[in-house]
Amino acid sequence: MNNTILLIEDKPGLSEALRSLLELHQYTVAVASNGEEGIRTARALLPDLVISDIYMPVLNGLDLLDTFRHDPVLHDIPVVMLTARSEYDDVRMAMEKGAAGYVTKPFLFKNLHAVIQGIFEKQL
Amino acid sequence: MKPNQSIRVSHMLRGIEDPVLIISSDKLIVLNANRKAIDTLTNGKASQLRGLPLQTAYGNERPEAFPKPLPTAFMLPVSQNGDIALINFRVSPLKIEGKKYWLAIGRKVEQEEELQKRLQDLEQEKSLQQMKVQFMSMTSHEFRTPLTAISSAMDLLEARLELDGQLSSFHRLQLRKMADEIFQLNSMLDEVLTLSRMAGNNWEPDRRPVAPEQIIEALRYQYFSQRKDERSLLLSVEGEPRPVLADRDQLAKVFTNLISNAFKYSTQKNPSVKLLYKKKKLVITFRDHGIGIPESDLPHLFTSFYRGSNVDGIEGTGLGLSIVKTFVESNRGTISVSSGVNEGTTFTLVFEDFADAI
Repeated sequence: MNNTILLIEDKPGLSEALRSLLELHQYTVAVASNGEEGIRTARALLPDLVISDIYMPVLNGLDLLDTFRHDPVLHDIPVVMLTARSEYDDVRMAMEKGAAGYVTKPFLFKNLHAVIQGIFEKQL
Repeated sequence: MKPNQSIRVSHMLRGIEDPVLIISSDKLIVLNANRKAIDTLTNGKASQLRGLPLQTAYGNERPEAFPKPLPTAFMLPVSQNGDIALINFRVSPLKIEGKKYWLAIGRKVEQEEELQKRLQDLEQEKSLQQMKVQFMSMTSHEFRTPLTAISSAMDLLEARLELDGQLSSFHRLQLRKMADEIFQLNSMLDEVLTLSRMAGNNWEPDRRPVAPEQIIEALRYQYFSQRKDERSLLLSVEGEPRPVLADRDQLAKVFTNLISNAFKYSTQKNPSVKLLYKKKKLVITFRDHGIGIPESDLPHLFTSFYRGSNVDGIEGTGLGLSIVKTFVESNRGTISVSSGVNEGTTFTLVFEDFADAI
């Protein structure tokens, strides 16, 4: 069965291309455009993995990580952060809050895919 | 004062930009005054100042002699463009050939309003500077959003063409060129952002205990893995690792820059980073086997916007190493370089401040 990935990203220019790329690589993809919508979708869908932006309206990526970690239903779902912030401390904060991985923007899909594959392989 | 002494003293006074008076210690007679004192106190009329007793105010109709003894500091009012300003004189004893005089040097007392205004100006300047940094930080962040969308759309284009069996080597080459330019633009944004912070004096290091090998490990994972040319960064640690006192963010920028350079200016072998923990210092070497740096370029290497004479066709802003040097030194480290053309380059950093020693 295909792995389901929930993509939480507020810029349609990026989320549409990413959705197509993930689908081309045989993933089932759902898209949410902010953190709050992302959490609602995650609860309903229980995806195998979440890819989330850090800077988003309504609920940002770091707060989203907190919600995931403290939610009995969501806390085992790995979350990969996409971040335009390359400051070392921001990345470290995301990892401390329990992110399963991170990719800094801009990125090559190949790199994001390697992170995703790494996480799924670890679960086997 | 003997005439020749008086001349010597006058010469000395002329060089001082604040008003200066030399006053006799017994009768408080103004024996000498420099041009600035004459201009401010008596409107340029030396005859109203020199040779006369010191007064509590000048320009009054009824001059009043200054009470004795002379205090260590006194103020004289002067009129300036219709306003009254105060000159604050500080008095110190002066001995010339065994005889004692008073030397009084004046400073204009800043009115509270003037001080307020200056404070306001400074605050305005500061907030303007902060706005600039914020603006740069925001723009460089916002620029990354379209860059990411472009690079993802290109990835998608490439994947689609490949799936449809239409991806030629021509397509591949052009797509790779575009991707390289996007990442070049991205690293320029990083450098401009760092520079604007430095210009805003916003880069005082926040030194805390850090483990450099962990930073390099994280950078290797983040930026220097999954490379198109299949090369990777070799990392080795010798000695007993101990945390050093440094700004984590600045160290990460230093390491990122030196590692990217090692990849950028070499094509064949893997670049390597070696951390050597000695008893009193940590020596970190970044080594590549690339084009090297001509000897004539070495003295200018850390100057902003300077680029080596053999970097034709390799992108860069010439800002990286100048940022590197600033950050290494602000974290109390040193940086040196040795290089041979077409043999490769080695940068050596030395840090001596270990967290446990403080």
